[in-house]
Amino acid sequence: MAETYTPPVYGTGVKATIQRIGGHLAGMIMPNIGAFIAWGLITALFIPTGWLPNAALGAMVDPIIKTLLPILIAYTGGRMVHGQRGAVVGAVAVMGVIVGSDIPMFLGAMIIGPLTALILKYVDKFTEDRTKSGFEMLVDNFTAGIVGAVMAIVGMWAIGPVVRVVTTAAGNAVEWLIVNNLLPLASVLIEPAKVLFLNNAVNHGVLGPLGVAESVKHGKSILFMLESNPGPGLGLLIAFLLFGPRPLRPSTPAAMIIHFFGGIHEIYFPYVLMKPRLILGVIAGGAAGVFTFMITGAGLVATPSPGSIFAYLAVTPKGGWLGVIAGILVATAVSFAASSLLLGFGRGEKEEPPEDTPQAAADTPEPAADAPEPAADRVEESGRVGEAGDNDRETQAQPVAKEA
Amino acid sequence: MASIDSKDIHKIIVACDAGMGSSVMLASQLRKQLKDTGVTVEHTPVNEIPADADVVVCHSGLAARARVSAPGKVLVPFQIFLGDPAVTKLVATIKNGGTVDA
Repeated sequence: MAETYTPPVYGTGVKATIQRIGGHLAGMIMPNIGAFIAWGLITALFIPTGWLPNAALGAMVDPIIKTLLPILIAYTGGRMVHGQRGAVVGAVAVMGVIVGSDIPMFLGAMIIGPLTALILKYVDKFTEDRTKSGFEMLVDNFTAGIVGAVMAIVGMWAIGPVVRVVTTAAGNAVEWLIVNNLLPLASVLIEPAKVLFLNNAVNHGVLGPLGVAESVKHGKSILFMLESNPGPGLGLLIAFLLFGPRPLRPSTPAAMIIHFFGGIHEIYFPYVLMKPRLILGVIAGGAAGVFTFMITGAGLVATPSPGSIFAYLAVTPKGGWLGVIAGILVATAVSFAASSLLLGFGRGEKEEPPEDTPQAAADTPEPAADAPEPAADRVEESGRVGEAGDNDRETQAQPVAKEA
Repeated sequence: MASIDSKDIHKIIVACDAGMGSSVMLASQLRKQLKDTGVTVEHTPVNEIPADADVVVCHSGLAARARVSAPGKVLVPFQIFLGDPAVTKLVATIKNGGTVDA
């Protein structure tokens, strides 16, 4: 039965709410990733330090990042709330934020787009019953125009300055973490958030907008690489291939290809959820990767999306490949070593009869010998991971508990 | 719990967080496996599951959100992206007839 293998997920409340909010943030960015990549390519090629410096073509770099991309984000955010009309007023309103600022206003766009659409939604509800037949078009066009214009002014005078302060503060906080060599600690939060399917929310909702501001200033940003490094997941999958529960091993090579080359990180999350203590392996790998990026001064021009090795290489600035590749390799190696250790180098796997079918893989995600472990995992985790670990357990405990 | 007879399944929605990554991958796998059955397979973000979906397939980590955005729909949660038995069973049921519970 589907039910017995995949029990219903508890913890509907907090976890699902965070996922949903994060999903909205990422939902404004992700449909526009193509535009980000276009900008990344144009930047990498035509800026003065790029591959083919060209002043005329390079003139596109600034308007795209400062005007086009915030408009697309606000448009998409508006559309999510109130369809095409919401999209239009969102795009209009964001102009106030854009013009009133000299940094890329992604966060501002993510606020004002949906907000303006929401206001129009209520205005539409108000006018709907009161409009005389035949005047619908007139009323619709002017309510949208007025709401858009007013919100553009609000954006310039109210939202823009606030967001600028927040962005500057966040940028300073990141700077402080880098200066004090503390940035690798970010992995302690990021890796558990990832496997709880907050990967897009973290990367596109939070790190991406901050990274872009940094990238415009310094030509590259390390923030794009905190979540999207394919190294930790690859190391984990290699460890699973060699030392994981035998029934699961056959599926890992395909998962590695999809993960590392295709950039779909979701594929490795279930492997962590089945053996929760492996979160420590990917945290170690992630932190080691960030540390390597940090000491080599690596950074990317734009967000690599999906987190594939190809996307990474495409948005690496000229001359920056060494640090980027080193960080991925180190993350892979450390994650592999730590995960292998956590899997006991395959000890206790020998007694099991070799079963190769995926069906078998499903029925015995945890060998019986491992049954007492979940308790230990929980202790370890709550110590290390803090509140993210709490959410972890809700999902993770179930498949395991059933086996025990 | 909702259930649906295999004859009534015309549209399967594979949902993931953004509707752009893992769901597309699984949807294309399912589409291949169900090519001769006339069942359409589409992928969407988990917050935007369309009303005409007959069966929703998503990772168990997102099942809570799928239940909110598509209440009352037959939901098939799975745990691993490659060769999950819940998905295999769904395909077998559609091909051989039977009832999908969830």
